[in-house]
Amino acid sequence: MEISTQDGERSMAEIMKSGTLEKLAQAVLEGAAEDAKRLTEKALSESLPPNTVLVEGLSAGMTVVGGLFRRNEMFIPEVLLSARAMRFGMEVLRPLLAETGAKPVGKVILGTVAGDLHDIGKDIVHMMLEGAGFQVFNLGINVEAHKFIEAFQEHKAPVIALSALLSTTMPQQKAVIEAFEKAGLRGEVKILIGGAPVTQEYADKIGADGFAPDAASAVLKAKELLGIS
Amino acid sequence: MAIKHQQPDLVPLFIRYVGAVSSKLSRIHGIAGRDLEIKLGNDGVIVQIGINAEYSHKVVPDGERWTSEWGVTYEGMRGISQPVDHPLKEPDVSGYIWPDPHKPERMAEIKQAMARYHSDYAVMVDLSCTFLEAGYAHLRGMEKFMMDLHLSRDFACQVLDGLNTYYTALGVHAIEQGIDIIRIGDDIAGQNGMLVPPKLWRELVKPRMESMIHAFRKANPNIIVKYHSCGDFSAIIPDLIDLGVDFIGTMQPCGQQVDMAAIKAKYGDKLAFLGGLDTQQLLPNGSPEEVREAVKDVLRSYAPGGGYVFMPGHYVNLDVPLENVWALLSAVHDYRRYPLNFD
Repeated sequence: MEISTQDGERSMAEIMKSGTLEKLAQAVLEGAAEDAKRLTEKALSESLPPNTVLVEGLSAGMTVVGGLFRRNEMFIPEVLLSARAMRFGMEVLRPLLAETGAKPVGKVILGTVAGDLHDIGKDIVHMMLEGAGFQVFNLGINVEAHKFIEAFQEHKAPVIALSALLSTTMPQQKAVIEAFEKAGLRGEVKILIGGAPVTQEYADKIGADGFAPDAASAVLKAKELLGIS
Repeated sequence: MAIKHQQPDLVPLFIRYVGAVSSKLSRIHGIAGRDLEIKLGNDGVIVQIGINAEYSHKVVPDGERWTSEWGVTYEGMRGISQPVDHPLKEPDVSGYIWPDPHKPERMAEIKQAMARYHSDYAVMVDLSCTFLEAGYAHLRGMEKFMMDLHLSRDFACQVLDGLNTYYTALGVHAIEQGIDIIRIGDDIAGQNGMLVPPKLWRELVKPRMESMIHAFRKANPNIIVKYHSCGDFSAIIPDLIDLGVDFIGTMQPCGQQVDMAAIKAKYGDKLAFLGGLDTQQLLPNGSPEEVREAVKDVLRSYAPGGGYVFMPGHYVNLDVPLENVWALLSAVHDYRRYPLNFD
């Protein structure tokens, strides 16, 4: 069979996808890191575009993980293993994505606010965002307000996502919003907040642009804030 | 008595205050520590020992680091210490030296508390951060230990075995001092359910808890065993009953635990409860009237027939305005008398 048109190539890719990309998504779901790496390589060797491998393989797997996690059908150890599997695939994919000039869906700066050392929830948000094709700048834990400003000035990410796991550190989310106001940058960013004690009501009260009750919702919310469907 | 499912004359109180709140109250009342908690109406005192004890009460200046006998490094951060470096860098426990649970000085604080309070008040010894939390929060780090549960199962089991050996011995020594309640547990749940799959918990933690509780009961058949986790751990409540746990808390009102009356109806004949009042929204942000109504609601759900000790769902934290502390205390004193009457 001779394939010369672009449409023809795509249909060939579709045929191959039914094998490899599905298996790749499955490997991410099962947290099988070595398989995820091997299947990413295999998909590329089948001439699938890197972006397709990302979206229809790795991200497709993470989307399923996000849904299961949200419904309490998957738990932290397994979600971490899925994230690890995704990372194994991403290591293969990342240089190729850069070469092909594929743009991330969006950019997000993420961190746990000052005085708060909880990182696992934030890290799960990180990998869910990455799984959905976002570029994430993870500033870590105990991040002072000015660090978010500096990161914004450097990376120009339009979404700032703030995690707080303690009722005593929630006011720091407000402090970050105020810091952006003071710096005259509030209009340039959307601020998304989350964490165990955080509610929509609190988000409204402090003037955040969005609230997400869990990691999978954070992805949806980030997309919504950026007008991405 | 309340824990043994008999209805006492009053709902017992056991309210805990974080250091900063305690200091404020202490300035008002002129006494501190356990004496202050008793003065504010508590019916029992708690002595914490083990990996959690040293760090959770140590106040060091911001940024100052210190290392515990477990080899965990902590850093002072806004009034509390937080773990920043873990001793088990690789999934290998072979070179790790476990602390010695038999050191007599480990019982010193329990002996003091027994001498001072036991004639009139219950004495509880807290061994929490007993299994998974000791592993993830202190010895190994969250992300690594959570993945070890699958990727390095043998190692994870060796860590849990080491903890079981240590805490069983430590708990038995504590029980031999004549205490009333022994508290074990880990924070294994979040806002909407378990952090780890219940099935995995049953495989890895439950059998170890079973041997531990067996040793405790051998030391004193009447010892009250209390289990603690933050968050919604309702998925494993039937397992806790299997294990012979008597008393659970702090029943944060989140996830399935929001329906307190349903929890009481389902398990109230087998378990006593501690906690229930919302410390995440209500206590810091509610009005004193709302706090009062919520206290009534918690008592209405959990207190009928006994089997309940009043406490908020966690410590009273420093974001709670003092007027809400007063509202909490006055409401609970007004409504805790049996037969319950909320008019």
